[in-house]
Order: sequence, then structure tokens, then C-alpha cells
Amino acid sequence: MKKFSQLALPYIIWAAMMLILPMALIALYSFTEHGNSIISFSFTLEHYVKFFTDPDFLLILWRSMMIAVKTTIICLLLGYPVAYFIARSSERLQNMLVLCITIPMWINMLVRTYAWIGLLSEGGLIQQILSFLGFGEVELLYTEGAVLLGMVYNFLPFMILQINTSLCKMDHSLLEAAADLGANPVQTFRRVTLPLSLPGVINGITLVFLPAVSSFFIPKLLGGGQYFLIGNMIENQFITVGEWNFGSAISVIMAVIMMLLMMAVKKVEIRNHGGKED
Amino acid sequence: MKKKKRPIGRTLMILMVIFFYLPILYMIIFSFNEGKSLTAFTGFSLRWYKHMLESRDMMEALYTTFSIALLATFISTVAGTIAAIGLSKSKKLVRDLMEQVNNLPLMNPEIVTAIGFMLLFITFKVEKGYVTMLLAHIAFCIPYVMLSVMPKIRSLDPNLADAAMDLGATPWQALTKVIVPQITPGIVSGALIAFTMSVDDFIISYFVTGSGVKNLSIMVYTMSKRINPSINAISTLVVVIITTVLLIINVAPIFLEKREKKAEIGKKSLVLPGAVAVCAILGIILLVNMNKESSDLPYAGQTLYVYMPGEYIGEEVVPDFEEQTGAMVVMENFDSNEQMYIKVANGEAYDIIIPSDYMIQRLIEEGYLQTLDQSRLDCMDELLDAVKSQPYDAENAYSVSYFWGTVGIVYDKTKVSLEDLEKEGFNIFLDEKYKNDIYLYDSERDSFMMALKALGYSMNTEDTDELQAAYEWLVQCVTTMEPEIVTDEIIDNMAQGRKALGLCYSGDAAYIMSENENMGFYMPEEGTNLWFDSMVIPANAENPELAHEFINFVCSYEIAYDNSAYVGYTSPNQEVMEDLSGEGGDFEGINAYLPRTDYVKDEVFVYNAETRKVISNLWSKVKITASNAN
Repeated sequence: MKKFSQLALPYIIWAAMMLILPMALIALYSFTEHGNSIISFSFTLEHYVKFFTDPDFLLILWRSMMIAVKTTIICLLLGYPVAYFIARSSERLQNMLVLCITIPMWINMLVRTYAWIGLLSEGGLIQQILSFLGFGEVELLYTEGAVLLGMVYNFLPFMILQINTSLCKMDHSLLEAAADLGANPVQTFRRVTLPLSLPGVINGITLVFLPAVSSFFIPKLLGGGQYFLIGNMIENQFITVGEWNFGSAISVIMAVIMMLLMMAVKKVEIRNHGGKED
Repeated sequence: MKKKKRPIGRTLMILMVIFFYLPILYMIIFSFNEGKSLTAFTGFSLRWYKHMLESRDMMEALYTTFSIALLATFISTVAGTIAAIGLSKSKKLVRDLMEQVNNLPLMNPEIVTAIGFMLLFITFKVEKGYVTMLLAHIAFCIPYVMLSVMPKIRSLDPNLADAAMDLGATPWQALTKVIVPQITPGIVSGALIAFTMSVDDFIISYFVTGSGVKNLSIMVYTMSKRINPSINAISTLVVVIITTVLLIINVAPIFLEKREKKAEIGKKSLVLPGAVAVCAILGIILLVNMNKESSDLPYAGQTLYVYMPGEYIGEEVVPDFEEQTGAMVVMENFDSNEQMYIKVANGEAYDIIIPSDYMIQRLIEEGYLQTLDQSRLDCMDELLDAVKSQPYDAENAYSVSYFWGTVGIVYDKTKVSLEDLEKEGFNIFLDEKYKNDIYLYDSERDSFMMALKALGYSMNTEDTDELQAAYEWLVQCVTTMEPEIVTDEIIDNMAQGRKALGLCYSGDAAYIMSENENMGFYMPEEGTNLWFDSMVIPANAENPELAHEFINFVCSYEIAYDNSAYVGYTSPNQEVMEDLSGEGGDFEGINAYLPRTDYVKDEVFVYNAETRKVISNLWSKVKITASNAN
């Protein structure tokens, strides 16, 4: 027994080096003065003050959150019915459909996003279809809509798969029982199916919301240089401006916000599950 | 009830499949396009595949992506499984704590994890490149493996290992013969997740890479600004590889199941196709890597690290240089001088860098460059006087000019009258007649140059009031004109006449005008920026000898001619410039190719640490304002 527990030791050391230390470094940078050196450091809150006192920065944060919320809602509205349908189909069809949704996920995310550029650009297929339908020359690429589309496209599979998993785990006899007891389909869905699929929904929301908030290449590729989200702001601080301390502070702010949100979500989950975790 | 729901469900499914596959299909179709356009299919051709196979950059990106994915998957699966088994026998406190730690990369926004890794490697002075990318991938893959192995271990009887050992098995046997076979499904699915995560990753790789190592994502990200259908070709290749692997993994078990019918399906059926898939990928990697041969050329086996702006070199320059010298060139690109500076200041080693004037001044001042060995250079006599002895390097001791030019306004003659341009100069960017019809260039220095010139100030001003006024000018522009802020995207877009006007480098304008005769280039009378991009050798270069060789090579007539003709920027080689702009030259009659010299109001940028910081921050804020405005 004891021997086996020693197997974990190398990983504990590795995790301390590769997972904990980097976070500590970000925190350290965020609280220190200029300069990319940790030898001569002096404590400061300047970077946080700078962020929270500038309405433009706060607005960027707000807009990033909002676009992530929109993405999550759209993914949920589209993803739930799809997952529901998949879970209802025969086993063979189910496997095939799940595979269908998994394949795009395996293809590199940048490639997937890049693929939209041609479709959305001026004179591209979608614009042609829209103008054929009488919408005129709608500008598509480099708009907020394009960014939203890119995010939904990239993250929707997470939502579908999560919900589908929890719907498949559900005991089907429960539905029959509900029907036998006189519940109509709507009631069965609301009282039985929905609550039982909630863990999947919550996992799905997490998996969509988290990358959507911080994504910076989707806005850059599909939104253009004038479309700036919190992720772009962090990238900009590190790659172009070179103010790593301020960039670290924004990262910490974002990480903390996410952590609080995740804790809130977990709370909802535990309450719905009567405290049972698995 | 079930039957009735089908039609709705079916339509939904079909729509969903179209949604998921339309872009991919579109991309595949256009990878076979004869023309360069991403919107009009002009005929079937394999030229982009040929182009892709000839581009070492692309092949290496493919190799990097899959070799890192395989290595990271293998290592993290083994390590993750061992750690998971170990933790399952550890104290609850340790176990819970490690669970929280493992959650860090899963629950943190990816960009935060990425920056953490970057700071870690820089703090401990680990040279960024393939190894750091691999380490980072292993680090974020292990938690996924453990996440999928842990539940399987938890469902085992805790006394299993003890029972085996009571029966005489050694701990090793107990582990490999008893525990591991029981948790194989968890291990396999963990490995699959790790592989997907690694192939899919962009953000983390982007921040931890260096020395010119690029994976597919980084390559697409840096190349996406110009229309380049080879990206479609390589993406199609990736789609084919991944789909094949997935099909093998998913379909093979069904066949095996039919054949064997009985027993052990769960285990073997996944291992075998998995192995087949791994072999297939390894084969591809080998194939890609095969064409490395040895030779007896003077610099055979040596490597030259070049760091320069993207899309800034003729396609044949590097292959020709490699052929002539036997050396290998590793090319890395930057978007801006500022981005380059951060990397160089953090100690990354390159042999050749191609920065701009003011940045060269800064690099010299801060001691990052070495003086050139004049005895090794044989090209100085061929260069124009105009590009020599500029204030940033008065003695020509550190730099040799690569391209030079001005910044001006590229405009569509059918939409913008020259009269307006002459009357308004840079202030045409505030003329609401052209609302939603302009491009700004995403560069702090060029944007501020434009604003300062429009206001009649010097672009090298240190006066905070003048800078503030320029900032307000730009804010007015982005809030009232709905501009698109682009970098190299402007080239293809203006060549296709998508907008009326844009701020543009003379070289890009020359290319645009050679592609589309409706386009013109105007240098405002308020004066503009005269700039020089030059080759320099950093102080920490590992192969300065080869770097000198490269400088000579690039300056030689034929190479300089091809290079300038391909990119559109003005060559500093006098003869080349005259031939290209003269009768029969590629840029005959294109005013953008000949930079305006000797105009009093034109200036060269001077580096000033304080103003640079102010401008940099203000430009960030302009972009944020622009983003918040729409």
C-alpha cells in the first residue's frame, strides 16, 4: 500500500513546479513594480487601481462577459434539443451522430475558425445567399455577429456532448413511470428530464463560458483589429506593449472572476443534487 | 409520441450537420481552387497542394503539431496513470489538495495558464522552443488523463492489489497485471482527450514557443492576414488525417467485434486500432522529415535564425540561400517591432533581425546589437546613398538596409478624388463622406504619425499636449468613421477594392497598384514617415558568420530583384530599384515604388523611451475605444 502512494510523489513535485509556481509568478508580477525581473521587487497595487479606475477597461471586461453569456445561451438553446434528439435515437444512430459532432472538435480550432473567413467574406457564399434572399449586401466578416458565430461554432460541441451524456445516463423507465402516473410530455420533460439533465447542462455551460470569455483569436480572426476583448487586451500587454505587470494583473482579475463564477455554479449543482458529488 | 417527434428532430440534426461541416467542406473545395480567391471558384487545380508540400514552414508545422501531440499524449498518459494510482492510495488530504491543483489548468482561462507557463520559462531562463512547448503540453494534458483515470480506479476494489501480492505477486506485477488492465478504458479515453487537447491547442503554444518553432495553429494565426489558399490545403490534409484516425478508432472495433465475437473486446479492440492510428501518424511524420540530406556545402548542417516581419520576403530567397550555402534557415515572423523587441530583450537568440529605423536605434542604445564586420560585407557599394548614414546608424556600423519606403494613403481612384486628398491630406480620415470605408493600420507609431502630421506637428514630438491632441484626433476617427483596423489584411482587401482608402506602407501600395489599376497612392503634403527596415545581427547571435553571408546574399542583384518584385517594397539596391521602376520593370509608372526623398516635412522616426510608452498606451486605448464604440 505505502509503496503505491509513493508513485504520486514525482507528480506532486512536477505539479508544484508546472502548475502552482506559474500561478504564483503571475500573482507576483501583478503586485510588483515595472520591470520583468523578480530580483528587485517592490510591492504595488498600482496595476489593479489602473484597471478598476478606467471605465474603458471595465467596459471591455463587461463586453467580454456579455459575449460569453450570449455564446453560452445560444449554445444552450441550440445544443439542448440536439442532445435530446441524439439521446432519443437508436443506439447505432446515436454513435454515428456523436462521432459526427466529435470530428470537427478534433480538427484544430484555428483551422475551424479560419474556415469561416472565406464563407463570411465579401462576395462569399453566405453573403451571396443573403443577397439572393433579398437582404442586400450585408457585411458579415469583422462584425460582432461573426465573432459570436465563431464562438458558437467552436464551443457548441462541448455543450451537446455534455448534455447528451447526462441524458443517456438517465433511466428511461422514469419516463414511462411519469407517463403512467398521468404526466403529459411537457410535464414529464419539466419535472423529470430537465432536472436529471441539469448536471450536463451545468458542465456544458462551464465548458462553453470559460473559453468564450478569454478567447482572443476568434475576435482577432473574425472580428478584426478593431474588435478587442479582454483576451486580446492581455495578449496585447504581453506581446506588443510589454507591460507584463499590468498584463498579469488583468490575468489575475480574470482568473478570480472565473473562479468565483465556477464556485457559484458548483453551488447550484450541489444544491440540485442534494449535496451528492461524483 | 416518439414517432411524431422525428421530423423536427431530423431537420434539426441535418441543419446541425450542415452547420458543423459547411465551413470545413468550403475550405476543402477552395483548397482545390485554381485562383487565389477565397470566394470565387475558378477551376480545379492542385497548385496549392504543391505549394504546401514545397513550403518547409508548413510541413514543419505539421510535423511539430503531430510529434508534440504524440509525445505529449504518451508521456502524460503514462505519468498521469501512475500519478492517479499513487494518489488513490495517498492520504485524503493529499488527494483532495492535488485534485484542486489539477483543476488549475482545467478551470483557469487558457490564456492565464499560458502566461503562467511563459513567465515560468522566462524566469528560469529556459530557452523557448520545441522543448518548452512539449513541457507545457504535457503539463496541461496530465490533469485530463487523471480526470478520466481516477473514476475507474475509485471503482476498483481497494483490496485488489493486496490480494494479488498476498498471492505472491510483486508490487510491479500487481500493478501491471491486475490494476492497469482493469482501468484500461479510462486510460484509453484519457489518452484520446490528451491527444485532442494537444492538437487543438493554440493559446498555450503561442505563448511558450520560440526559436521559430510553430505548430499548425500558430502558423494559421500568423498567416491568416493574407489570402493564402495553401492554408486551406494544409487544413484539408489535417482534416483527412484526423478523420482517418477517428474512423479507425471508432469503426475498427465494430469489425473486430464481428470477427472475434467473444470476450476482451473492450480492451483489445481499442488498443489495436489505436496502435494502427499511431503508426499512421508516425509514418506521416517520417515522410515529412525524410528530405533532410547531408551535403558538403560550406555551411552544411548549420542553422540561421532569422526574425523578421511576416510576408516580407520573396518565396525563393530562403530556399536559394539554403541551396547555395547548405545551411538551414529557421524563419520566425513578428507583427510589430515592439513584439520583436520584447523577445530580443528577453534573451531569445537570433542571427538576423530586420527591424525598423527607430527600433535599430533603440537596440543599439541598449546594447543588443553587434557591429558588422565590414570586411565580410561586399554589398555596401551597391546600395543607394539615400539609405545609408541615416541618423539611427550614422556610421552604417550596425545595419544594412533591407527595404525602405514611406507611409501614405492608398485610395480607390473611382471613389476618392485626388482633389479631396490634396485639400485634406491625412484629415481625409476624418471626412465623414468616407465613413465605414477606410482602413487604419494597427501600428501605434504609424497611427500617431498620421494624427500628428494631420495636426501639423512633428511626428517625433515629445510634447504631451500634442500627443494628447493626436490621441483625440484618433479617437474622433475611430468613433465617427467606423474604420477597420488591420495590418497586412489591407493588402488583399485593397487589391480587391473593398474600401475607399487606407493608411498604407508604400511597398504594400506598390503591390496593390500592380494588382489593381484603379488604386492610387498619395503622400500628403503635411509630410509623412520615411522609414528604413534593415538587417542587423544581435549581440547574442550564434552564427554571425553565416549572418553576414545572408546579408550579402540578400543584397546581391538577382536576389534583391526577385525579392523586391515579389513583395513590392523598394529595394535599397540602386540598380534593382531603377530596373524595377524603369521601362518594362514590374513597377513601371507606379509612384508608390519610388519613395519621396528630400521633402522637408518628411521625417524618420527617432526612438524616445518615454514617448514610446505614452504612445503605446494611448494606442491601446484608441483600439479599446474603437471596440467599445461598436
